[in-house]
Amino acid sequence: MYLDHLLISKITYGEAELVGLLQQRNNQAFTYLYDNYSNALYGIINQIVSDKESANDVLQEVFINIWRKIETYDISKGRLFTWMLNIARNASIDKIRSKSYQNDLKNQALPEDASMLGNQSVKMKMDDIGLKKVLGKLKDDQRTLIDLSYYQGFTHEEIAKGLNIPLGTVKTRIRSALLQLRSMIEQ
Amino acid sequence: MNIKEYISSGIVESYVLGLASEEEQKEFEQLCQQYPELVAARNSFELSLEKQAFVNAPEAPAFLKEGFVNFINQNSVTNQSKVIQMDNTEPIRKATGFNWLAAASIILVLVSGYTAYRFYNETITLKSELQNTKEAQASLDDRLKTLEDHEKVMSNPNVAVVNLTPMPQKVPASANIYWDSTSSNVYLVVKNMPKLPSDKQYQLWALIDGKPKDLGLFDVKDDNKVMLKMNNTQKADAFAITIENRGNTGGPNLEQLQTMGKTKL
Repeated sequence: MYLDHLLISKITYGEAELVGLLQQRNNQAFTYLYDNYSNALYGIINQIVSDKESANDVLQEVFINIWRKIETYDISKGRLFTWMLNIARNASIDKIRSKSYQNDLKNQALPEDASMLGNQSVKMKMDDIGLKKVLGKLKDDQRTLIDLSYYQGFTHEEIAKGLNIPLGTVKTRIRSALLQLRSMIEQ
Repeated sequence: MNIKEYISSGIVESYVLGLASEEEQKEFEQLCQQYPELVAARNSFELSLEKQAFVNAPEAPAFLKEGFVNFINQNSVTNQSKVIQMDNTEPIRKATGFNWLAAASIILVLVSGYTAYRFYNETITLKSELQNTKEAQASLDDRLKTLEDHEKVMSNPNVAVVNLTPMPQKVPASANIYWDSTSSNVYLVVKNMPKLPSDKQYQLWALIDGKPKDLGLFDVKDDNKVMLKMNNTQKADAFAITIENRGNTGGPNLEQLQTMGKTKL
């Protein structure tokens, strides 16, 4: 008990207080942010970027972006973590789409557009974290849609075109898959 | 608006995960100002997502933290020139023989401060130049990729070119269709087609045994030298383009037939 108390008695911030300090570019607050959130963000990055070194680069980039863009974070639009998660997801997708990354992959052909993906099995990385943990419980076609949209960043339009499914259907299937994922993580 | 239905439609999850379109995001944010229950639903999903992200999260390598800490130390505001309050209640000391040392050290501090400041500024400039170069490079890469895709289609021996020629008494509209008979992919290259009012769109059709098959709606923009990937078709006796109301889901408006070309396959 005593030890627990000692561990917790390190500085902790309320979310609004933390955001205030971050927006003043307070070094201690940024170090705190890094200590507390880097692993969780590293998790999402690794789910998208399979190459370790590139994933490290992305994490570095993500925190520098958080530092640069912290003024644009608007607490009324959602939690700080959600905002950072989206920065990490976008940076990861940018990474796997970059020419240099694709060249590095050499033989491991990466799909160039959604149309080539319909018949490819969904790749699984870091299966036991985040949404991926429950992704396997979805039906194959739903899993493909989540993989293409969330993990590979294809727009609904691109997916509709690539898989030859009407746009409306893509949207409703993705939404119903998301609702299922939510109920699974909340169980 | 039935807010309960809206909440359970999957929009909350879609918004939080960054999968909602710009329009959907705007609508969602507006509705959040009106409906506290929508904010509550968003918040609760964000919390579960956040909780989930920490379970089994992998350990980020320690050296990465060092890099970030160096970055914030170099860039932090507190690191830049501090204003030091001079204490003027101090009695004035008599000049001693060592004053030249103090003067020299002050000069040294000033010079090194100035140098550091210049380097700092230079770094900022270089960083932003690098960012601009990267952006320019990315846009060139995109254009190159487009041209390469273009080239790939045109040099494919299975691809047949169909010239669409303007219909009489219509605006001079012409386009080419590249039709890959093995994969049934259809690509459209606009050669000369006027821009349309915003409520209208062009629509490409394949005619098969006299019946039209929808191959997709498209817009013509100023810089439309790009190749558009349209819907696939295995068969086509001819291709035709009509002008339709934006988002048309019905058949072709044949009075608005602009251009047409027969396939020779």
